[in-house]
Amino acid sequence: MSESPTPAASASSGAPERDVRAVRAARLESARRELAEATARGEGGRLAHRHYSQRMDAFVQELFAAAGSVTSSVGIFALGGYGRQELCLHSDIDLLVLFAAPLEAGDEKFVHALLTPLWDFGLTVGHHVREIGDGTALDRDNAEFLLALTDARSIVGDATLLDRFMGATDMARVAARALAELRALLEARRARFNDTLYQLEPDLKESPGGLRDLFAAQAIAKLTDPTLLSQSSVGPQALDDAEEFLLRLRAIAHLESKRHQNVLTHELQERAADAMGYPGGSPRERVERLMSDYFRHARAVDRALRWALRTGVTPVGPNLVRWGDGVRFVDNRQAAARPETWLALFQAALDLECTVSDDALTLVRQHAGHFTADQFVPTPATRAALLRFLRPRPGLYARLSEMHEAGLLGQLLPEFKGINCRVVRDFYHKYTVDEHTLLTIRNLERLAEAGPEKGRFARLLSEMESPELLVLALLYHDVGKGIDVDDHSAIGARLVGGVAARLGLGDEDRALVEFLVGQHLRMSFVAFRRDTEDPEIVRQFAQVVGVETRLKMLCVLTWADVGAVSPETLTPWKEELLWRLYVDTYNHLTVAYGDEVIDSTQAAVAEVAASRPPDVTATEIEEFLKGLPRRYLQLFSREAVYSHARRSRQLSPGAIQTWLERKDQEWALTVITRDQPFLFSNFSGVLSLYGMDILRGYAFTKPDGLVVDTFHFSDQERFLALNHEGEAELIRTIEHVVGGRVDVAARLKRREEGALRRRLPRFAPVVHCDNDSSPRYTIVEIVAENALGLLYRMSRAMSESGCEVDLVLISTEGQRAIDVFHLTCGGHKLSRPQHEALTANLQRVLEGPS
Amino acid sequence: MKLIKSIVRPNKVDDVKSALEKLHISGMTVTEVRGHGKQKGHTAIYRGQEYNVSLLPKMEVEVVVPDSIANDAIKAIIEAARTGEIGDGRVFVIPVHESYRIRTGEREV
Repeated sequence: MSESPTPAASASSGAPERDVRAVRAARLESARRELAEATARGEGGRLAHRHYSQRMDAFVQELFAAAGSVTSSVGIFALGGYGRQELCLHSDIDLLVLFAAPLEAGDEKFVHALLTPLWDFGLTVGHHVREIGDGTALDRDNAEFLLALTDARSIVGDATLLDRFMGATDMARVAARALAELRALLEARRARFNDTLYQLEPDLKESPGGLRDLFAAQAIAKLTDPTLLSQSSVGPQALDDAEEFLLRLRAIAHLESKRHQNVLTHELQERAADAMGYPGGSPRERVERLMSDYFRHARAVDRALRWALRTGVTPVGPNLVRWGDGVRFVDNRQAAARPETWLALFQAALDLECTVSDDALTLVRQHAGHFTADQFVPTPATRAALLRFLRPRPGLYARLSEMHEAGLLGQLLPEFKGINCRVVRDFYHKYTVDEHTLLTIRNLERLAEAGPEKGRFARLLSEMESPELLVLALLYHDVGKGIDVDDHSAIGARLVGGVAARLGLGDEDRALVEFLVGQHLRMSFVAFRRDTEDPEIVRQFAQVVGVETRLKMLCVLTWADVGAVSPETLTPWKEELLWRLYVDTYNHLTVAYGDEVIDSTQAAVAEVAASRPPDVTATEIEEFLKGLPRRYLQLFSREAVYSHARRSRQLSPGAIQTWLERKDQEWALTVITRDQPFLFSNFSGVLSLYGMDILRGYAFTKPDGLVVDTFHFSDQERFLALNHEGEAELIRTIEHVVGGRVDVAARLKRREEGALRRRLPRFAPVVHCDNDSSPRYTIVEIVAENALGLLYRMSRAMSESGCEVDLVLISTEGQRAIDVFHLTCGGHKLSRPQHEALTANLQRVLEGPS
Repeated sequence: MKLIKSIVRPNKVDDVKSALEKLHISGMTVTEVRGHGKQKGHTAIYRGQEYNVSLLPKMEVEVVVPDSIANDAIKAIIEAARTGEIGDGRVFVIPVHESYRIRTGEREV
């Protein structure tokens, strides 16, 4: 705690104001005279500056005491050069006035009373008034203020406020920003001097090698490693000497020019050489010696700064810095006690594309065994961070290998321990099970690095919404081998339950990872050992896979798994077989699914009915499911099925059930109603009207005319986020449109025209009309660049062509919309002229106005 | 001696191997190959776009057998590899004049 008086305690003074002012003026003058005399003797260096700064401190303390009371505690801090006690005759007095609480009217009077006398005495004051609450936004504050804060020093008042101010935010982030800004400022300033220190009339402060460069090097050390400059070849003594020399020269420049003048002109050089007692028969000789010393010191400063810039550690997160050999902890003791911070170490190395340093790995190795899996990811945020960490990208294999080698991976994912250095002898595998597992992830990261344009499997990876779940599945795909090699897929799938619970995975995600682990051998078995030209083989495989997202993930998992068996195992021949199975299954799932409908005798129907809630009867469920494609049951959870069955019962013609659900950033609109012309295009039109970006969806029409449509979309224009009544309005509009009370086409027209004008398609749309794959439907596949209202325009064109839109699969992959429509016309497939006309119409719609 | 070179569907290799083993023919060379016969591949559609699959993945199984069992071997391969559909593959039979065991330099006639 500071022992300085509080303003309230010593505000009163009995002396008449004029006398007080005269006394203060005399004190200030005395202080200035002292510095001037030392300067004239050539001794205006560090010591003289310190004395002057201390006398200025006393002056500020006196003003503080007389400034009146404040409503909360307050502290006054010197910043920049004044903070370093290097105040020169005409330097700015940089002050931070820091309050413990938000300022009130009385506080402003106090600030005024404190600063006005300084101005009255002709001092140039740079002041910052803050409250400690502002500290939370410190990382966004003015860069020069952040740098000045590195030299902050308490003068008077509550000295603890500074720690509270700076402790309110993540100082590593503040330091990182300050360093980045410092580098930018340095570059710009040095560029003004053509980046050379050899100036004939150097600016003692601004020139390369001058005082600002010296302070910059010191600031880098303070922000990163206080011992940094002592490790430079320049050495601390040379820097001290340079500082002393430059301060003396600057003091002479201020004294001689009687103002804030830092340029060492030829004239000033002569006076400085005389004041500092340089020998020589002529002024020129003395100046040459002075400038020779100047350049020597400036070179030392320049070299030290370059060293600091080159080798200085960079803060990369709380308690984390980047050092020469990688990312390490700043405070090892703190890190050892906080295992929940360790993932950030590996994440930082991943982000910076560097290694984790040896000493950090040693720390992890020494302490990992002391903690349980939950202690590494104790909060939802740390669990989410672990999943983010697992997203495939260059370096993931190396970081996971480091974690494994340091014993962290087995602690974090205890199921992984069982395959540590596990040897399983067979004809194919060349590596231990753990290394094989990690190599699958290396394959994946290489695929991610290649980018979607580099190949078909890379494109599948790029299309995945949650590739981290694929990595999790790969980590677990062989953990069962630690228990029983023959049954390892099933064992592995069971073990997924543990990690899913620890990481708080949702039911859907857990089921996906279980599926991938449990079925990880199936796709290679079918592709390489079965006749995939037999449609029945493909149908059976499609039935196991169920939906395209799973198919894609299983395909890429298989590719990565086979490729990690040995360098020779994944041949182009095998890749081709795998790809063909993928394409055939994809086509089955997206094109042929319409003909595989649910009948009430199916075991799946009985299972759904058996676990129904009490308010829905088995008959209602059977009736609802009858006639829907089997795919429906793979797309919706049981709860969703019961909800659909409940809402669809006794639905009269014209009635509509509509509801919205939100999951993270995504919304889902479900509509259950009876079919009518333009129904699907009206739904998609309303969503476009409100600027929603439709990401994926499914539309099912039962033979009895019941329609179940679900659209997943993002609230692109934040309509729902910004309007409390937005959800109700959206639903109301849908009901009005379906009821014929609102014409969506008319309302969308202007918006659509705008969107079409802006639209510049990057690739030509594809429309493929297939009349052969299904006995019941004409199937239209469309791949086009995603755009506002695209789905609406396409489906409207279909309805205008007299088609009934019976089934729809909507998906969006990056900028690509991939939609598959199952159409009929009057209950039959389209005739050749009809589908040719439709294709032409769709092409026109997709290509937009010419 | 005859070299019997069979181009078969990938999923039929295990069946062909089993059939040959029943004839006590255990030494064989199996190679992944790609090609097309009369069917000249086919057109596949992925996401609405057609692409031509001209070279189809097949397996090549090579065995060298004494003349005395060549016909049995050919018959066994054909039976094991047949599905009755286009793309079942081919069997080529080539006379072998001599063969040498590399390890010992021994000549077999």
